[in-house]
Amino acid sequence: MPFSEWCQWLQHTRFATTITESDWLFPLIEGSHILALPLSVGMIVIADLRLLGLAFCGEATGRIVPSFLRLSRIGFPVMFLTGVLLFVTQAGKAYGNPFFRTKLIFLVLAAINAAAYQKLLYPKMAGWDSAHGAPPGAKFCAAFSLVLWIGVIVCGRTMAYQF
Amino acid sequence: MHFLPLLQSVSNWAPIVLIRDSKYGMPAVQSFHLLGLTVLLATVVALDLRLAGFGMNDYGLSWLAKQVKPWTWGAFVVVISSGLLMFLATPGKYLGIHPFRLKMALLGLAVLFHFAVVRRFTAADSEVRSRRVDVIVACVSLTLWFGVGWAGRAIAFIP
Repeated sequence: MPFSEWCQWLQHTRFATTITESDWLFPLIEGSHILALPLSVGMIVIADLRLLGLAFCGEATGRIVPSFLRLSRIGFPVMFLTGVLLFVTQAGKAYGNPFFRTKLIFLVLAAINAAAYQKLLYPKMAGWDSAHGAPPGAKFCAAFSLVLWIGVIVCGRTMAYQF
Repeated sequence: MHFLPLLQSVSNWAPIVLIRDSKYGMPAVQSFHLLGLTVLLATVVALDLRLAGFGMNDYGLSWLAKQVKPWTWGAFVVVISSGLLMFLATPGKYLGIHPFRLKMALLGLAVLFHFAVVRRFTAADSEVRSRRVDVIVACVSLTLWFGVGWAGRAIAFIP
């Protein structure tokens, strides 16, 4: 079965239609997806702003960034789970949507960016004091992360206008 | 009495019409609204968790309050201005419906509570207070702010 047909099938499974036709399930899932934003992406944005030297400058990067990344763990499971559920209920419509595709590409890039940061820069972070700030490589990762997450939010909002 | 005609003429003002009728006008304004709420609520959550002692405990309360302040208010300005644009583009969609009224009431309460209580509770580190009061204040603050968000979602789903 081609992937596009599989998406159509997924959207019409009993599981998906139960959510779509429920008066409260879909709003609950969609609302949770949006309100998990500050608890996940919001914390990453603040960590990125610290790396760029724009926020929380009175305290060392090596302390602030892990603190906010720890908080982002509250929201990410909610974000991911509700995102998967939203996809299941609208898979057929989402499949061909250019904004949905762009959002997925941005998410993959954000994951690669975060993994690279984790592997290459995170272990060195303790040495970055507040006087000198983060090295250029870390600032690049932070700026890239900011752009990607803004893109994810913009695409996520815009895709629904085309359903 | 003159409020409705005024609102009508503002919503027919060229820049507002452009936002309403162009293909990407409303998604763009709503994206700003979401970006704003992401940063606004992230700073609120960080400060309230610290106040309750559930997170960010490595930092002083008043220091954290001072650090988040410009971002909270910067994001607040973004949220309010984008929200105002959404309202002015289609006032008929919002006026008189319950979720919108609830959202505005909760927003008023959240801002009031922030200035009257949260600000006072996060101003100094060394005050001797019962932990329980701090937890209650943080919970009320989080409930009000996230209540604004849920009421906002309800606008789309409850006519």
